[in-house]
Amino acid sequence: MTADKRAWVSPVLAKSLPVLLLVAVPAILFVGILLYFTAWALLFSFTDLELVGRKATEWSFVGLENYERLFSRRGFLESLWTTVTFTFFSAIVGQSLLGFTLAVALRSYRGPLKTAIEVSLMLGWLLPDIVAAFLWSATTSRSGLINQLLILPLGMEPVNFINDYPLTVVIIANIWKGTAWSYLLYSAALDNVPREVVEAAKVDGANGWQRVTRVILPIIRPHIGTNMLFITIWTFSYFPLIFALTGGGPGSQTEVLSIFLYKQSFGIGKLGYGSAISVAMLVIVGMLSLLYLRLLREPK
Amino acid sequence: MNRKFLSATVVAAALGGIAVPVQADISIMYPEWIASLVEPGIASFEAATGQTVTSIMLPGEGYDRRIAVDLAAGTAADVAVVDSFMVAELASAGYLAPLNDPLAGWDQFQYYMPGLLDVVSYSGSVFALPTDTDVRMLWYDRSLFEAAGIAMPWTPQTWDDVLATAQILKDSGVENAFILPAGTKQGEGATMQGFYMALLGADTPEDDRNRLRNWAEEKWIGDSPALRATVSLYHEVYNVRQLTSASINYATDIGAAVREALANDEVGIIASGSWEWVCLFDCSGVNVPSVEERNAMLGWTPWPGSGAEGAPATTNISGGWAIGVNAAASDPDMAVSLLTTIFDYENFAAWTLTNGRMAVRTDISESAPYLENAFLAEATKLAATTTGRDTYPGYQVVSALVQEMTAAILDGVSPEDALAEYRAALVDEFSEENVIVYE
Repeated sequence: MTADKRAWVSPVLAKSLPVLLLVAVPAILFVGILLYFTAWALLFSFTDLELVGRKATEWSFVGLENYERLFSRRGFLESLWTTVTFTFFSAIVGQSLLGFTLAVALRSYRGPLKTAIEVSLMLGWLLPDIVAAFLWSATTSRSGLINQLLILPLGMEPVNFINDYPLTVVIIANIWKGTAWSYLLYSAALDNVPREVVEAAKVDGANGWQRVTRVILPIIRPHIGTNMLFITIWTFSYFPLIFALTGGGPGSQTEVLSIFLYKQSFGIGKLGYGSAISVAMLVIVGMLSLLYLRLLREPK
Repeated sequence: MNRKFLSATVVAAALGGIAVPVQADISIMYPEWIASLVEPGIASFEAATGQTVTSIMLPGEGYDRRIAVDLAAGTAADVAVVDSFMVAELASAGYLAPLNDPLAGWDQFQYYMPGLLDVVSYSGSVFALPTDTDVRMLWYDRSLFEAAGIAMPWTPQTWDDVLATAQILKDSGVENAFILPAGTKQGEGATMQGFYMALLGADTPEDDRNRLRNWAEEKWIGDSPALRATVSLYHEVYNVRQLTSASINYATDIGAAVREALANDEVGIIASGSWEWVCLFDCSGVNVPSVEERNAMLGWTPWPGSGAEGAPATTNISGGWAIGVNAAASDPDMAVSLLTTIFDYENFAAWTLTNGRMAVRTDISESAPYLENAFLAEATKLAATTTGRDTYPGYQVVSALVQEMTAAILDGVSPEDALAEYRAALVDEFSEENVIVYE
């Protein structure tokens, strides 16, 4: 066997068949398990399988009924819209833009302020979701921190933020929680932008805005694409913080698809319908990923 | 010999462990609030047998879902505390072990009240032992009532009386004038403490007109005057009069949020049950104020009927919890032995009294300290005319759909549309011929 026949594996691995086999096992397991569960979800999405009771054991095939109900019953489309709003504002606008702005602003700055900002960003990221949920619930409730520190001293009526603006609270909480990732990724990307190139642009008379949009952004384009891909997928199926903070409520105001899926599958117990929801989520995330992967490609 | 056997077992267990998780010890799952019953039982069991018990204590919120998923997936503990309404459904799926034979030799089994054993039975066999039963009522904050100039003891006769009182409280600045449990986050609590209590008083009990299921016709009720009145009551409380913040039903920790609001005098009236006599202060039964202090802070009144013609004057529905044995328990005898140790008279009677729970056994209910407890005596009067849930297989789905219907009201969906969605979901689940409609 010649080396070029195995060009798809790393040359280090290609030298030894046992090593190659060894590393192939986890890869095959990983992909296999993934496919196995996806196949089950796909199969169950055509059934009326339930969590408990008679239909837990005597389920039957119901054709496309579950998929029809995604569109004919209130729930899925409303939830999809909530998810899109949540993902767009908390991940794409919030985390990515804020992370980028912070990375650019703090790039050449060294000092205690930078450390303080970085530590607080990381703290948000490292804190378990449940702890973060309690923190935000204590901050935004009627007797919470914002009311005690801002609203009441100004002589205004206390606001129950989590009751009146639940989706906004959840979006802000997630921006706070996730900005660290975008900040770190963009900081690393900016470090890779050669200083000479930026200096040259400066000499050519480009102002700060032009240097960012014409020089830096095109260079770190792949990083932006990668980051967008990651955070969109995460945020689209994000569950713990929202569930702990609001449980999808009040009513269904913060019921993103992952919570809708959870409630249908384990609250009501309709595993078949839940599977259909998860397949639909898979399709949507898949399409979004393809979109980003296209964006990642170099322009011709 | 013994040592050889042991090491062989260890090796076998280690090898087997790759495929099947081996549980050497006995395990038990229970929600946090019942720890003061379960944990002394575990301690006695460990002391008596030398076994180690793996105890899995979980938060009360979402416990029902967790236990159902764990039993379905085969990952549940050997002994499990479950809400009594789930027992028949879990038993029908084959997840719980029948207990009549294992308990036949236990001298205390005879004291369980037959009516309460019915709740935890399925096709003639007992599948769990009840821990307590309960009644439901409206609790109210005396200091807020006094400040608002409302006469006490408060004895509302109709829903309108309750709404009018709550309106006075709201106008006097109470944030949660009337908490009527709603939405999906508290699970069965919203169905029982809120929806059912109203539904039962919304219409006459004849022909099961005030229920979720018509038992004679063997059909679920998709629409009825009682359902319409109950959904409209939710609409009135949450949308028209806005008597409470909807978010209290979705707080990060609902129990803590309600207790905090109560301590801050932000709760006027709350629809809940007899356990709140202790739970509104501390559900584990420690640091609870004296009876006199509690009586000075809180009062309670039976839930009145709607005032509609033929509707009952007051309503009630009882539930309760139970402890069952996993059908797949690694050592069933040991599991049953843990069960009976927890329910041993000394431990069980002490927990029942400290926590003001309604007894499920005659040896406890006929004991002097129980008979002398004024709160329990009053609560027991309500139990005389109480009812039970429509726990026919499928009830769990129906109850979840009821919660979804109340959540729709919180979203501002009209009562007619919310009810139409409920009916459509019932038909999806049980098909048209199993759903009945009262005009």
